[in-house]
Amino acid sequence: MAASSQLEEKVTTCVSIGATYEGRDPALLERMLPLVDYIEVTPETIAEAKGSRISLSKEVMSELKNISSEVKFIVHGVGLSIGSHDGWSPTYFHLLDEFLDQIAVAWHSEHLAYTKVDGEHLGIMLAMPKTDEALDMICERVTTMQERYKLPFLLENVVHVIPDAPSDYSDAAFLNELTKRTGCGLILDAYNLECDAHNHGFNIPRFLDELDMTNVRELHVARGVEDNGFLLDVHSQIAASSTIRLAQDVVSQAEGNAKVVVYEFMPEAVPGLGYDAIAEQLGCLRAAFRN
Amino acid sequence: MDLATQQRKLLGLFRSTYKVTANDDAYIRKVARSRDLAEGKKNIALWRVWVFERTCALTVNLLRRQNTLSQRLEEFITIENISPFRETQAPAFLEWLGRSDDDLVSSVARFELALIKVRQGDRHTYTIPWKIEPTSILHSLAKNTPLESDPCAGNYEVVVSRKMPGHFRIYRSR
Repeated sequence: MAASSQLEEKVTTCVSIGATYEGRDPALLERMLPLVDYIEVTPETIAEAKGSRISLSKEVMSELKNISSEVKFIVHGVGLSIGSHDGWSPTYFHLLDEFLDQIAVAWHSEHLAYTKVDGEHLGIMLAMPKTDEALDMICERVTTMQERYKLPFLLENVVHVIPDAPSDYSDAAFLNELTKRTGCGLILDAYNLECDAHNHGFNIPRFLDELDMTNVRELHVARGVEDNGFLLDVHSQIAASSTIRLAQDVVSQAEGNAKVVVYEFMPEAVPGLGYDAIAEQLGCLRAAFRN
Repeated sequence: MDLATQQRKLLGLFRSTYKVTANDDAYIRKVARSRDLAEGKKNIALWRVWVFERTCALTVNLLRRQNTLSQRLEEFITIENISPFRETQAPAFLEWLGRSDDDLVSSVARFELALIKVRQGDRHTYTIPWKIEPTSILHSLAKNTPLESDPCAGNYEVVVSRKMPGHFRIYRSR
């Protein structure tokens, strides 16, 4: 990876800044709004269960509608399970439909992963095996998604929780083929790449060299905790400078196609982080990406 | 190995419901003996703990004081099909704990579940039996102070209803 100062010089494109927001914390929202261009919303985390029916919280949707003149929205799902062999989640479509009926979004996205098998939930996202069988299935589903919503659709690299399965493609070649066949865009989560490097010796420079980075529309920065020598994909910390530098590196090579860098944190982490630290993080991202 | 077989076996490994045999594919055997699988399971538990700390704090506090949070969580993850929708996770956990053989765990979990429901507008009235005096227990769990070492035994009922001030009232049973 190039030195920080060199990277700062390379970032000539002005990239927007985004942050996650899951509602019901107006003081946090007030602190973030002047610092972000996009709010990333995950429909599942603003959903409420009323008996067996799951639908979006009216209270949170109202909050979001109230700021729609100040900020743009992107939807980032976690429950679609696009990679499940037995089909994806109909509940996710229901929530996405409900959201899009009420609020305009710039694009929507999900994770290149699966979270359930035969209706049983894993409790975690697992990366897809990079095989022809998986690629064909994902491409078909991405196409269906694009035809249904007529909106740009992005897929994100997830952390490799377990060792990679035998594959027909490298990570980058799989993503290149996916984007080539479907026209979908990519989210690169810089922290996930760092987790993979730390936990499995994943070669980030080789991956980036091989990846067609002009397909990258969005970047994620975040930070979790280390447990037993493993970096865990939990969004509980302020992003490390190495993560931000990695995101800068990708932006500089995306030839102007990367549009937004999103700082991801979970609501459970907010009391520990504090509003000031979150605002400072967003200010730091603005300085790094909007120069 | 096709995608369906691979996903089913990995699900079994994560839920601890699948035992690997010598006939299994080399990849599945590799995952089963990997540290990554153990860490992945811990990661699942960590996410759940964060959600439960926020959504069912009283019960989590009790399990922490009993040093049974990890064990209970592991059992819950193995047995129950946990929805990815956070809103449904605490009710499912509390409902499962409400069936516990440990009377105190069962009472606290059932109380907290009833409280969640009435706060969300549920019009039912819930009556939860307790075998020790609930006031000091609930106070300690809510304030995060040590539990009494020798709580007063007896038959009590906690009635939870949205019509009540504070949504609940404690009665001594005859």
